[in-house]
Amino acid sequence: MSLAVTAVDLTKRFGAFTAVDRVSFEVEQGEIFGYLGANGAGKSTTIRMLIGLLAPTSGTGTVAGHDIATRPDAVKASIGYMSQKFSLYLDLPVMENLLFFGAAYGLTGKALRARADELLERVDLRGQGDVTTGDLPGGLRQRLALACALVHRPGVVFLDEPTAGVDPVARRAFWKLIRELAAGGTTVFVTTHYLDEAEHCRRIGLMVDGKLVALDTPAGLKKTWVPDRVLVARGRGLGPAGARLRAAPGVRAVAPFGAALHLRVDPAALDAGAVAAALTAAGGEAVEVEETAASLEDVFLAAVARGGSGSGEGPPRATPGEGPPKVPAGAEPGKAAAP
Amino acid sequence: MTHTRLTRSLVRIGAMASKETIHILRDPRTLALALAMPVLMLFLFGYGVSVDLDRLPIAFADQDQSEASRALARAFEGSHEFHVVSHRAPAEAEALFRDGSAVAALVVPRGYQEDLLKGRRTPVQLLVDGADPVVANQVLTKADGVVRAESQRLAGAAFARLEPPLQARVWTRYNPAARSALFMVPGLSAFLLAITAVMLTALAIAGEWERGSMEQLFASPVGRLEIVLGKLLPYLVLGLVELQLVLAFGAVAFDLPVRGPGWLILALGLVFLIGMLGQGLFISVVAKNQLVATQAGALSAMLPSIILSGMLFPIENMPLPLQLLSRLIPARYLVHGLRGVLLKGNGIDVLWPDLLAMTLFAVAIVTLATRRFERKLA
Amino acid sequence: MTVASPSTGAPARPAILARGLRRRFGAVVALDGLGFEVAAGELYGLVGPDGAGKTTAIRALAGLITLDGGEARILGLDPATDPRVRDRLGLMPQQYSLYRDLTVGENLRFFGRLSVLPRAVFKERSERLLGITRLAPFVDRRADQLSGGMYKKLALACALLHQPEVLLLDEPTNGVDPVSRRELWELLHEFVSGGMAVVISTPYMDEAERCSRVGLMHHGRLLLEGAPEKLLAAFERQGHPRPTFEELFIHEIEQADGVAA
Repeated sequence: MSLAVTAVDLTKRFGAFTAVDRVSFEVEQGEIFGYLGANGAGKSTTIRMLIGLLAPTSGTGTVAGHDIATRPDAVKASIGYMSQKFSLYLDLPVMENLLFFGAAYGLTGKALRARADELLERVDLRGQGDVTTGDLPGGLRQRLALACALVHRPGVVFLDEPTAGVDPVARRAFWKLIRELAAGGTTVFVTTHYLDEAEHCRRIGLMVDGKLVALDTPAGLKKTWVPDRVLVARGRGLGPAGARLRAAPGVRAVAPFGAALHLRVDPAALDAGAVAAALTAAGGEAVEVEETAASLEDVFLAAVARGGSGSGEGPPRATPGEGPPKVPAGAEPGKAAAP
Repeated sequence: MTHTRLTRSLVRIGAMASKETIHILRDPRTLALALAMPVLMLFLFGYGVSVDLDRLPIAFADQDQSEASRALARAFEGSHEFHVVSHRAPAEAEALFRDGSAVAALVVPRGYQEDLLKGRRTPVQLLVDGADPVVANQVLTKADGVVRAESQRLAGAAFARLEPPLQARVWTRYNPAARSALFMVPGLSAFLLAITAVMLTALAIAGEWERGSMEQLFASPVGRLEIVLGKLLPYLVLGLVELQLVLAFGAVAFDLPVRGPGWLILALGLVFLIGMLGQGLFISVVAKNQLVATQAGALSAMLPSIILSGMLFPIENMPLPLQLLSRLIPARYLVHGLRGVLLKGNGIDVLWPDLLAMTLFAVAIVTLATRRFERKLA
Repeated sequence: MTVASPSTGAPARPAILARGLRRRFGAVVALDGLGFEVAAGELYGLVGPDGAGKTTAIRALAGLITLDGGEARILGLDPATDPRVRDRLGLMPQQYSLYRDLTVGENLRFFGRLSVLPRAVFKERSERLLGITRLAPFVDRRADQLSGGMYKKLALACALLHQPEVLLLDEPTNGVDPVSRRELWELLHEFVSGGMAVVISTPYMDEAERCSRVGLMHHGRLLLEGAPEKLLAAFERQGHPRPTFEELFIHEIEQADGVAA
């Protein structure tokens, strides 16, 4: 199994600020690799280094076999990139955008036309060729952007928050496309803030403050970072009741999840029944608590809370009676929150 | 209650104006455009593109070959306006015009010295290459000057009584050396102010549209007129600074005089600027797009102020329809007004029509722009 | 759901009212008879596929677009024509609408002056907002150097300076990481429990669940509306065990489009 992307101690500094700090990982061909992190954690900077848009301060990397520092042009020719900001031409019809990008990658004549038609089919935009791109709803625009990134059949595609702002129906359709791509052998390197989507990835890298603090399969991440028991509580008045429970022994984290509350507790100390009783005592009404599997969002919150101190502390060790993770003082917004 | 409303309005206008000022200060390109460009252009126009011609090549055909005629030749050669390139016969002068070696030929007839000694007035013939009227004009004026000076030198008191040939051009009286820089600085001021005022304002508002911040503004308590006034105010100040710069540079580099009241210059400039800013505003309200706004702004500012303002081409020489059209162009009034104040020393008593015309334009265009400026996104 | 007036028991006027909103852009029908009400202290979530008309609806409520039909009322006033609305309404548009070359502090100061806030009031409110958004250490940082989450928090702070009674938010958490999203929501909940009426459009289903009521928009009109737990309960009774809001959403949209589930 060949390696589509490698990074070894990749670092980028802007003056005194270290945006990316000795990041290392490997992505296999045909893998869907997820890259997560808070805004400003260094995800986009890492991607830009990998695709040859930014020179690393130190460290090395390869994409599709080409060295990113010495052969960035070869890298660019072998990858597809869908940027976070929509960068196609809004005033051109859909087909024109496709033809433009195809031509930019060297396709001409009948081959260009055929490829454009093929892509339109592929991303399920059949019949929309004459629609002005600006008139397309967000989800369809993203599909077009994906098509343009695939026009030259790259072996590796980088998708930077491809479904930002897109509704659940369209997102589901988009990820179907991504899975089909990967099944066909294309490596997909994707960043997202929708953590339910990240479950589709084979492995996930998690960045906090420029460091890669976690790299594993979703299941592995949950096991390592959320060794606690995860409970979901529903009822009324849970906001204040949950807040009161944060300091309670055995309670490691309390966070709202939709209308419900997720609590991470020490499995040896508390169970669903105990928590339900505690919540009711703290003012909750009609409280229902049950155990649930940890989600990637739980992982994210745990990792950010931990890593926000900048010390690169690893995941919590599952020792009983540990108490809640420390919230670092003076942390930058977005990097740490009382979970 | 009204007082409070006015105060609130002023606070909001002040907020918009200070924000705009910050934008300007943080965008070095805008500042460079507004301040450096006018000085640069004045420099170029004043020195480089001067229509003053030195050392005009003139052919001297001396049929008299006398002491007096040679003295006349020396007078021409001695003035740095002319450069005598040949002393051949008049018939050959035309050949010289054709190949461009000379732009004029002075023919001194046989008997020149004799006539002079006898006290008779002596004509000398000046042939001028009329192909380029600008040059031809210069030749006429300058040759006339040299000849007159020579006449006076020769005759001393005796000839002082004689009338020199009449020069009907009024401007020469106020611009004896006919230096084109003086003629052009007022026109150039109008041109530069027009460009920067129109373009910068057009960019400022179209920029808000493009950036998307217009939506937020519309949802806030600020009114249309407040947005308009607040945005225009910093550019007004910038324009006035520009005007001062141009005039200062003109004074230093070209000895531009200021013979009339200084406040009138400021008043003329102010009213002109408001009109130009209004024009820029109108364009950007209609264009909503920076690219279109810039192009429309540049065109609508440049063409009228160069062609129809009297800056380069005298309005009196234009066909009637264009003359009438130029009455609608504020630049015309500024050029006329500035020339009046700077070179002729005119006051408000003479120039009030110019001031009034520009005021009317300013009020009309700002009203129009504000009306068109709808508080709606779609 | 309207708040009953304590004295008469009759429903008080809703803080936000949309009735029969219609608007088309060329051939595209953006709003097709949209109607809903939001009372003070309610958080109303507007969800729907792209192109459903959520942004148009919010702009119509803010009086920023002309309507082909129907009426929008904020606190009983017409937002398109009555300038009094603007002192009591806060808007956070979807586009990045703050001034990039101004700092955090300068942006706040600008919006404060637009509302003509007395200096002492502005100082107190801006300090409080900077504190709860945790933007205080960045008050001198230019807006274009803020990360997505921080930017959105600043936009929210600017919209809240004049303590509006009504707040309209168009996808305020787009592109914001999960931690910052939570912080924004905590802020919102605080203000809502203080009596503010809020309409928020969002692509996140978990956020929809945190609203008092949710309206699902499609093709310019509401497909369904109600409190999230009631909607989920009803959906479950139709034979979908332990449904998530996302499943509900997808089911409704696909049904409306005539696609087999």
